Amino acid sequence: MIRRVGRASVNLSAAVGAGAIGVAREAGGITLVLLRVLRALLPPRFDARELLRNLYKMGVESVPIVVLTAFFTGGIMVIQAGIFVERFNARGIIGWAAGYATLREVAPLLIGLMFNGRVGANNTAELGTMVVTEQLDALRALAIDPVRYLVVPRVVAMVISIVCLVIMGDLVALLGAGLFSHLLLDVEYATVFYGMKDQLHLEDFTHGLIKAVVFGLAIALTSCHFGTSVKGGAIGVGRAVNNAVVAAAISIMLLNFFMTYLMR
Amino acid sequence: MANPTKTTTPDGPKIVFRGVEKAFGGKAVLTGIDLEIGRGEVMFIIGTSGVGKSVTIKHLIGLIEADAGEILYDGQPVQDLDEAALYPLRKKCGMVFQNSTLFDSMTLLDNVALPLRKHKGLHGARAYAEARRRLEQVHMGEFADRLPSDLGDGMRKRAAIARTLTLDPEVVLFDEPTTGLDPVSARRIDKLIRELTDTLGVTSIVVSHDLTSIFSIADRVAFLYRGVVHVCATPAELRASTDPVVQQFITGQSHGPMETPGF
Repeated sequence: MIRRVGRASVNLSAAVGAGAIGVAREAGGITLVLLRVLRALLPPRFDARELLRNLYKMGVESVPIVVLTAFFTGGIMVIQAGIFVERFNARGIIGWAAGYATLREVAPLLIGLMFNGRVGANNTAELGTMVVTEQLDALRALAIDPVRYLVVPRVVAMVISIVCLVIMGDLVALLGAGLFSHLLLDVEYATVFYGMKDQLHLEDFTHGLIKAVVFGLAIALTSCHFGTSVKGGAIGVGRAVNNAVVAAAISIMLLNFFMTYLMR
Repeated sequence: MANPTKTTTPDGPKIVFRGVEKAFGGKAVLTGIDLEIGRGEVMFIIGTSGVGKSVTIKHLIGLIEADAGEILYDGQPVQDLDEAALYPLRKKCGMVFQNSTLFDSMTLLDNVALPLRKHKGLHGARAYAEARRRLEQVHMGEFADRLPSDLGDGMRKRAAIARTLTLDPEVVLFDEPTTGLDPVSARRIDKLIRELTDTLGVTSIVVSHDLTSIFSIADRVAFLYRGVVHVCATPAELRASTDPVVQQFITGQSHGPMETPGF
């Protein structure tokens, strides 16, 4: 019995240790990508054509899904806040209630997770496929630095895209909140609008944008790290996409917790 | 038979491999490659699958780092150069990969224009005009606006050669350039490789299993076996070789002294 417990505890320790080493290895890899990107940005020398291509692919093509998500997010905020608004007959605060949570938390978080699933996963798969088909080696053989040519434009494009998408998402979510307040709670548009104008502050908006920048950076670095370190062909690409999406999602949640605490 | 791993070209060796060793995951692949390649030579590196032919040539441009040994390019050691220091060498020493490795998201024209934009200072219409000219040299001009996925293997390989040649390299490494091609396309690629040397003086190192290519365009052939250059000879000498391993490779017999990884 004692021997069995001892063996189990050794196995558990080994598993925890291996997990910790794995996390440290990936964190180290992501940090290296960050350092290489920073080095390439000082002074900024990267491919403008690749930046524009990625801005379109990552940003512009994400607009429909962000608009749809944000519109209904505004509606959900109204439904949740509506319970208390109706109970206490506080229709004047519906704009603030929906807007505060949307700007500070829900819009950057939901758009971040959506962006991770759509753009981060795609980025890992694309870079991973380039690795296993030797396209990255071909770039190096052409004396072109893959970090400057591929990674930096993607990181910059992801950060710019997610900030723009969160700004757009905020606007659409507030419009959605106004519409659903009117349709579901019979609150006048003007009441919702003045509630937002009087009770929401600039920092509610900027806090969300700061989060967007950090989430965008986390998604970009994670997806580029897992994409460029793929090993093992198509199976390796699949595994890398899975790991990248999970790692970025966990990063988003942890970063959100700490940023919310620090910016409260 | 002579075993001239040393080149006899009058200008001396362009490239020297000296005692190059490489292992992957504890398994030794190269155990001491010694080989000299002369300027303007078409050197074929042959051997069974998994013997380390592609690994050998990738050492030259730093895509793989040697565990031991020395690699000289124009007399200068390259094995200890860091990534940034390798870029000037890579501009002089191009590589055509086995899978062509054209960038999927770009048309052939964009693929070929990329190194022109990055290294030749050409932009916009000038880069495209030069890229189109390069594609026409390999008879791919009419496919310039197509994506690589729309084309067959032979066409992709020709476009990849055009992309590599944009930097006017002194040396071109070809990794199995005719593998998977129909005989006509394969002979066209052979002709292109030979012309590069005969008209432009380019040194070509070709990794191949294609005996027709070897016997039609090679100046010398290095036969890799058990991690070393087992035989280095002219095609005629190779054909006349009495070495049982060489004979088994040339005749393609399944029974014989040759050890093949995985069999």
